Amino acid sequence: MTEPNDVVIQTHDLKKHYEMGTELVRALRGVDVEIRRNEYIAIMGPSGSGKSTLMNLIGCLDTPTSGEYILNGQAVQDLDDDELARIRNREIGFVFQTFNLLPRATALHNVELPLIYAGVSARHRIERAKEALAQVDLADRMNHKPNELSGGQRQRVAIARALVNGPSIILADEPTGNLDSVTSEEIMTVFDGLHDAGQTIIMVTHEPHITAHAARVITLRDGMIESHDAPRTAAAQSV
Amino acid sequence: MRILEGIRIALQQIWAHKLKSVFTLIGVIIGITFLIAVITVVEGMNRYVQDDFAGAIFGVNTFTVVRRSQVQTGAESEERRRRQLRNPYLTMHDVEVVRRAVPDAWRFSYSVDRGFSRVTYNERSRKNIRVIGGSDGYEAMQGWDVAEGRSLSPLDERRALKVAVIGADIAEKLFPDVSPVGKRIRLGSTRLEIVGVWERQGGLLGVIRDASVLVPISTYRETMAWRRNSIEEIQVKSRSIEEMQAAMMEVEGALRRDRKLRPGEENTFWLQTSSDLLGTWETINKILFAALPGLVSISLVVGGIVIMNIMLLSVAGRIREIGVRKALGARRRDILFQFLAESSTLSLAGAAIGIGLGIAMGKTVDALTPLPASVPMWSVVVSLVLGLVVGVGSGIYPAYRAAKQDPIVALRYE
Repeated sequence: MTEPNDVVIQTHDLKKHYEMGTELVRALRGVDVEIRRNEYIAIMGPSGSGKSTLMNLIGCLDTPTSGEYILNGQAVQDLDDDELARIRNREIGFVFQTFNLLPRATALHNVELPLIYAGVSARHRIERAKEALAQVDLADRMNHKPNELSGGQRQRVAIARALVNGPSIILADEPTGNLDSVTSEEIMTVFDGLHDAGQTIIMVTHEPHITAHAARVITLRDGMIESHDAPRTAAAQSV
Repeated sequence: MRILEGIRIALQQIWAHKLKSVFTLIGVIIGITFLIAVITVVEGMNRYVQDDFAGAIFGVNTFTVVRRSQVQTGAESEERRRRQLRNPYLTMHDVEVVRRAVPDAWRFSYSVDRGFSRVTYNERSRKNIRVIGGSDGYEAMQGWDVAEGRSLSPLDERRALKVAVIGADIAEKLFPDVSPVGKRIRLGSTRLEIVGVWERQGGLLGVIRDASVLVPISTYRETMAWRRNSIEEIQVKSRSIEEMQAAMMEVEGALRRDRKLRPGEENTFWLQTSSDLLGTWETINKILFAALPGLVSISLVVGGIVIMNIMLLSVAGRIREIGVRKALGARRRDILFQFLAESSTLSLAGAAIGIGLGIAMGKTVDALTPLPASVPMWSVVVSLVLGLVVGVGSGIYPAYRAAKQDPIVALRYE
């Protein structure tokens, strides 16, 4: 038995159905996941397996058709748009494959964004954004715009942005998908560091060497969990 | 703070695409420029007419008795004018009636005049001048002081001397190098000796004083009047507005008795005050101010539609950004406010440019023409409010479209 407050994410029989024209697509057919604090999880699966859908649900970007989802002690399956926005703001730090930085804004301003929506005053915002940038070794680049930064630096800005509100989980969607292998390793080192510092990390990926960083791999197939494994086994399976 | 974010983005956009922004805002700019420019000129005119013009033409606390109203006001005037055409011409008898009615008047005078005459001196001439035959006291009544020479005297009138006082424009035109005093000018077949020149009045009103020639009324009637006994107007000046009103009642009563008008019968003469002129100006004013909102709102509506289109384009080009903001915790209303702030900032920037241009146009009119201009504070406030209304109005639909984006779809948007 784990301590209840040690569980960050708990889903029970999570289902998501879409209507595509006249056809009903069952993207998730009942998923039970439990993720504890400071876990490092990789979610794998071929395209169409439902891993994007699961990620959207975990990230509170979407609500399930049925089932329960408890995030940090809070049932979120029935929340409305504004409440979901608040949860995304406080509990989840997103890292995207394509970085998704605002092109016209400086690194500092990009990192400030979640704080703006959290209603933090300008002075505290800048302070905290600077701290977050320092955490990813970009203190000297904070006044640069995304197009003045390398791919790896951009992703580090995105990680700083994910961190800045002190979220319960970091949710990374193929964070190294647009990076070369050297830069990928650099970014993975950043994630490892965050994990060591106590962060809970959930990473969606299809690259076996990335999953090697994770402590546990959840593999989805046809909208169901196929396996919970240690990374080595998962990597071996996919080879 | 989220609004600040919207304003910041809007200013960035405007600055990044300066030319495009000017075209985007052109409707708002034109509308507001027009609004400010018209209000500026009309208000300037207003102040001018009230403060200077009416006072200068009719004098303060002054009324004149005339055969018919010289000022046309409003729609009812057409019929009144036709009736007044039957009024008898004023005569010296009427002058005496009026004089006896207000023996205590501060100033009293009467005059005849004729426009569009020509004066010559040797081979020089000046067209479009007004010849006035004034009684003793006419200059004092008008407040016209001589800069050179002397005013007309009672003696000039009694002897019907062929003397004249002329306006500064005429003096300048006919006597560019020498003093006009003592020279003899020709007016039709009459030769007149110039005894004085008035101080220049200048400005719009200069057309009256500066281009006039005054001769004694007796001289005028002997040498150039075609209706010998008629008098154009009788002027009465009082010391206060109350005295003037009392005097007007006296004069009206005296003339009615003299003309044996029955109660209920209309006056066969007209008492004219500066308020008649102000009335006309107010009518013009009303028309201008009635037409203004229509013209301004057309350009503002067009401007608003252009801004709405630009905002729709802006939303379409930033779907991804909207997705990111939503993922980071922006609520619907945050996105809504952001785009509303953006469209309002755009529109207000247009309004600010319009205010600047409008004031500049007003000042140009002020500098280049005799028309005075003054920018009333309320017109600036109205312009800014209109700018805000257009901004919010044109931003609502695009902002709503932005706010209702599904974050998942928006994040995948290419």
